[in-house]
Amino acid sequence: MNNPHQDRLVLTMAASQISEFYQLLQRGVVVPCRVGCPLGELLTDQWGIAADYVTERVTTVFLDHRAIDDVSTAMVKGGATIALSGAMPGLVGATMRRGGYYAAMRGAMTHQQEGDESDNQEAWVRLKLFNLLLPELGPGFLRRGLRMDGTELADFLRSKPDGFWQGCSAIVWNGQTVDTDRLMLYNGLNGSSSVFLTVTCEDNP
Amino acid sequence: MDKIARIDMGAPGGPKVTVGGLGEYAGLGGRAMTSLVVAAEVHPLAHPLGAENKLVIAPGMLSGTTGSMTGRLSVGCKSPLTGTIKESNAGGQAAQVLARLGYAAVILEGKPEGDDLYKIIINKDGIQVIVDNSLKLLDNYPLVEKLRAEYGDKVAYMSIGSAGERKLLAASIACTDPELRPTRHCGRGGVGAVMGAKRVKAIIIDDAGMKMRPPKDPDKYRDANRKFVEGLRKHPVTGEGLPAYGTNVLTNVLNEAGGYPSYNFKDGQFAGSNNLSGETQAALEIQRGGLATHGCHRGCVIQCSGVYNDKDGHYLTKQPEYETVWSHGGHCGIDDLDTVAHLDFLDDNIGVDTIEMGVTIGVAMDAGIIEFGDKAGAIRLVEEVQKGTPLGRVLGSGAAITGKVFGVERVPVVKDQALPAYDPRPIQGIGVTYATTTQGADHTAGYAIATNILKVGGDVDPLKPEGQVELSRNLQIATAAIDSTGMCLFIAFAIMDQPETFQALLDMLGSFHGITMTGDDVVALGKKVLSAERDFNTRAGFTKHHDRLPRFFYNEPVAPHNQVFSVPDEELDTLFNW
Repeated sequence: MNNPHQDRLVLTMAASQISEFYQLLQRGVVVPCRVGCPLGELLTDQWGIAADYVTERVTTVFLDHRAIDDVSTAMVKGGATIALSGAMPGLVGATMRRGGYYAAMRGAMTHQQEGDESDNQEAWVRLKLFNLLLPELGPGFLRRGLRMDGTELADFLRSKPDGFWQGCSAIVWNGQTVDTDRLMLYNGLNGSSSVFLTVTCEDNP
Repeated sequence: MDKIARIDMGAPGGPKVTVGGLGEYAGLGGRAMTSLVVAAEVHPLAHPLGAENKLVIAPGMLSGTTGSMTGRLSVGCKSPLTGTIKESNAGGQAAQVLARLGYAAVILEGKPEGDDLYKIIINKDGIQVIVDNSLKLLDNYPLVEKLRAEYGDKVAYMSIGSAGERKLLAASIACTDPELRPTRHCGRGGVGAVMGAKRVKAIIIDDAGMKMRPPKDPDKYRDANRKFVEGLRKHPVTGEGLPAYGTNVLTNVLNEAGGYPSYNFKDGQFAGSNNLSGETQAALEIQRGGLATHGCHRGCVIQCSGVYNDKDGHYLTKQPEYETVWSHGGHCGIDDLDTVAHLDFLDDNIGVDTIEMGVTIGVAMDAGIIEFGDKAGAIRLVEEVQKGTPLGRVLGSGAAITGKVFGVERVPVVKDQALPAYDPRPIQGIGVTYATTTQGADHTAGYAIATNILKVGGDVDPLKPEGQVELSRNLQIATAAIDSTGMCLFIAFAIMDQPETFQALLDMLGSFHGITMTGDDVVALGKKVLSAERDFNTRAGFTKHHDRLPRFFYNEPVAPHNQVFSVPDEELDTLFNW
């Protein structure tokens, strides 16, 4: 989804440094999509996650803090929060599992679909990735891009150690290559209310 | 395991050791052994810290064998914290070593006069009970270091820290891990206070000269164990999630679900949760040269633990578990892993239950003693426990006592034991277990999520909304059975999803003991254990009115789902109907 007022930052990173972004992904990032469709369609058709993978690996799914049993019927609205997780330990982990034996123990935490809301609009949703799905799905979402508040992104990048920047082979801010002076980048980020961040892995372009 | 040792600490002339056969306890292990002994031999109205109480230490049915995951050690007694029967179990090396020495149980009885402190040495030549007052008020880490100088590194140690000696109600019993660190604790219910009351500071267990326990059918046992290990390794929870992130992998998910109690159960989510998550913790451990994957005993293939180093790369503590990170973290409004790890170390060193201690600090925060989120203050309060100050003694006696002393209304306990890290309002089923378990609030009492494959209670419709009590009942039965095998409860994930892994477990039990074991046998064992525990509690004065959550769970909705606990009392009262 294009936004003419949005700044854009593209980072090219060594594969060994991609995990530095997982803190952002577990906290939640804003990503573009078309809403008004079932969650399963969003995961597979729009985000390109294989259906088998969704079935076998994405065993715990939350939509707006409520556990999902059937991704084919849960409808996604603009501004929704979607959290994806692999299989969890513990009774509560089993309880949260999609269509699991202990789903009844969730009570009101189970998502109940109200209406079909099939408006099919472009929108943003907040996505969170947890545990095993971070290394497996994280790089794909980073490559497709995510929206962040500029100050938040600046704080995140400032906190990174030298090794992170040594693994960063290219920084492109609004189409201009940023050399070694990251101060300029931070100044730009701090002045931006909305940055579209794309992270590509140089080992796997 | 063909013998039971009884050590009468109060015998005239000094402690007396008697070793006898198994008698009516033949074939039992773990929780089945501890609970059936306590139920049969301890007066239900006995004072938990008095001579009439007994501390029963029992390896599991398969401990001391070549079988994987068989290293849980059960400790049982009448609990000084709850007044109920208590079984508390831990990993570490003690179960394996004790079992190889042939002991199905070691039972500490009586109570000595005077204030001498004892250590017990158990080896192939027998059992010695020796006065050693040089150990007085040593905490677990320096205590084990001192004992290692004398007894070496090829033994297992069980010990109590200063909290146990002071008979604080949150006191635990530490078991050393493979690196001889006192990191694995029989934590719940104040079992360390009972050991302290009997003036036993440490138990040194040396299996030199002993061999692995031989199965009746070695070939079948080896084959079953291989299949069991394969099942654990291929399952995403036991083969991937737990090894990579430990139990703290639950923080993000519980928080997302709105079931993560924060600020002493005032909210169901915590803004700083991802600073505490298992994902963050594992990355930090690796970055600092620690370990994100580590077993608490030899023979563990899940390896859900780790090693947490400080900022300088020095060992600080073992990887704190989810419940610990929650109790000292979100429950107290603290979002800093280093603070949580420091508190975890203090808990292990002093010898207190991390759940009870963390929940107590949160209650103290609610009382205004320190502010929520006060990291230094939380450390200072636990150090008060270590020093044995009057405030420290109150805090070390748990959340219920602390709440009473400071006039706090919101005290999350059942039968005076602190609730663990799962809010029972959005997750009603776990609230049923908290309310009704024989142990006081305890998430592990209904943890064995294998009821479907065990067919405990027959086929339950998993989506039936009114089935909370039925599910909890079946979980508690299955858990009591697994707790008796000496198997780590985490095996339940693989046996729930993989029938062949469950069959491998049955085959391990059957081929080891030369019997044919079925799911029905496992269920019958679980029911037998729970019935004995429930009967003890009834005789100790507990009624259905004790099987309730604190009233605030019924009166205060919790965000984000704004629910209260709503399972009717009448349904709770049917849990033990079978």
